[in-house]
Amino acid sequence: MDIRVAGLRKTFRVPEREAGLRAALRSLAHRSYREVHAVDGVSFDIPTGEVVGFLGPNGAGKTTTLKILSGLLHVSGGEATVLGRIPARRERELLSRITLLMGNRNQLQWDIPALDSYEMNRAIYRLDPATFRSTRDELVELLDIGDLVRKPVRNLSLGERMKAEIVGSLLHRPQVLFLDEPTIGLDVTMQKRLRSFVAEYNRRYGATVLLTSHYMADVIALCRRVIVIHHGQILFDGALSALSDTFAAYKTITVTVADPLARFDVYGEVTAVDGSRVSIRVGKQDVSRVAADVLRDHPVTDLTIEEPPVEDVIDQVFTGPVTA
Amino acid sequence: MRPAPRLLSLPWLFFRINALNELQYRVNFFMQLIQSVLALFTALAVLALVFSHTEELAGWSPPELLAVMGVHIAVGGLIRMAIQPNMLRLIEDVREGTLDYALTKPEDAQLLLSIREFRIWQSIDVLVGALVLATAVRWHGEAVGIGGALGFAAAVVLGAVMIYCFWLALTSGVFWIVRMEFIVELFDGVYQAGRWPVTIYPGLLRVAFTFLVPLAFAVTVPAEALTGRLAWDTLLAAATFAAFLVVATRALFRFALRHYSGASA
Repeated sequence: MDIRVAGLRKTFRVPEREAGLRAALRSLAHRSYREVHAVDGVSFDIPTGEVVGFLGPNGAGKTTTLKILSGLLHVSGGEATVLGRIPARRERELLSRITLLMGNRNQLQWDIPALDSYEMNRAIYRLDPATFRSTRDELVELLDIGDLVRKPVRNLSLGERMKAEIVGSLLHRPQVLFLDEPTIGLDVTMQKRLRSFVAEYNRRYGATVLLTSHYMADVIALCRRVIVIHHGQILFDGALSALSDTFAAYKTITVTVADPLARFDVYGEVTAVDGSRVSIRVGKQDVSRVAADVLRDHPVTDLTIEEPPVEDVIDQVFTGPVTA
Repeated sequence: MRPAPRLLSLPWLFFRINALNELQYRVNFFMQLIQSVLALFTALAVLALVFSHTEELAGWSPPELLAVMGVHIAVGGLIRMAIQPNMLRLIEDVREGTLDYALTKPEDAQLLLSIREFRIWQSIDVLVGALVLATAVRWHGEAVGIGGALGFAAAVVLGAVMIYCFWLALTSGVFWIVRMEFIVELFDGVYQAGRWPVTIYPGLLRVAFTFLVPLAFAVTVPAEALTGRLAWDTLLAAATFAAFLVVATRALFRFALRHYSGASA
């Protein structure tokens, strides 16, 4: 098991006051604090080589968990181990085998080519020159950034910079990857490229990946398993395909009929009419009955029953059930 | 204990990276040159003014005071070259949350955070200081023996270590206070007092400039070594105090690091 988390808690003590000058003056003399439970009793295990999506709205506790697992933050309670070691101890043996990549932060030197920054990482990670060169060239080729690594980083586009950052983060061939919004701000083509790269890296090196992203396409493309966190607690941990079974309150029945203008709203909410195809949103518990009714009442040439899109399910998890 | 080559190879690597960065901005070299020359002439004018009224200042002759001034300029350059930029970067990184990347590297955090920045053009001040010092020693007339030279080198190293510890101790406050940029002005203001030997200051100030802000060890003691005024027990005291500061500030820094919470999620 590469990652083990049991009853993990992280509490921040943050100052707070009312708005206005009087409250500001009062807080000079008497500051009040509030305890924020960013992570509140989280437990999960991730075996070697698994790619797991870590989902949740802003402030859910995703990044805090990732920071604990990469040794940046000390826990307030519970336990976390990565590759059998406690991250907060920042042992060289662990830090040499993990990486943390954050889509909105840079680690490459701004004014010099990425190649020079890579050289710095080589020294920090104590990589032997031959292995370093072969890994670097392999990653550069995989991400197709041959010439870009010779340009000053400041001259690269956001997408190019991100690819250069990824190469820098993986030069030591980490076994565990913590990816925090790696595709944020990138265009669709670049997002796809990065996704296929992460999948390829996972396949090639058997790496374990914990990924947070607000783009569901990232999660759908890469993760068979997802962990959903909200208010610092886990709401769901299981197969992505089971997410809908657990949380979706409705399914969509799409029928192909000779008369699409007939009244279908008696069965549920008609969400689309496209030529002879009609889509009806129906409460999960009513699906079998409604499907039978539609087949009985209309000359149907085709009928499909679909789960709602994962985006909708996730949105429903965080905001409450949508109307069936 | 970390093997010595690592302690040297990593700083050299960062020096190289920073040199690559700074060499792209040639104008900074000329700006620094102008700034250093102006500062030198201002300091010389003040010294000349003082000695136009008196033959000596609290037992210090003109060449001896010029030596103090030389050390003050050189050590000041050293601080702005290697210590201050790293501490300011640390403050900025804690505030912005960009310390994350440094802390995920498999290297001693204190070492890594203390060698990342290097301002090569500040070496002009180090050179100017060295020239002033050489002139002062020549003017002083007494030959500097091996003992004096070694004493000077040891005093400069110990003084630099103490100033580094002082900066690190102050900067560690950023993990609680967050906005700490004011320490640059605070330090620069206090450092100006080091332009004069600390022995000319009255009791409490002298103690403060010795143990609170170690100006005495960083500036006055090295100058004493080159002008034949250094008592060896002073050097021993400097070594003891430096060792204490290294241990104490390292413990403080490690404690402070536990309070790092990142800027945001």
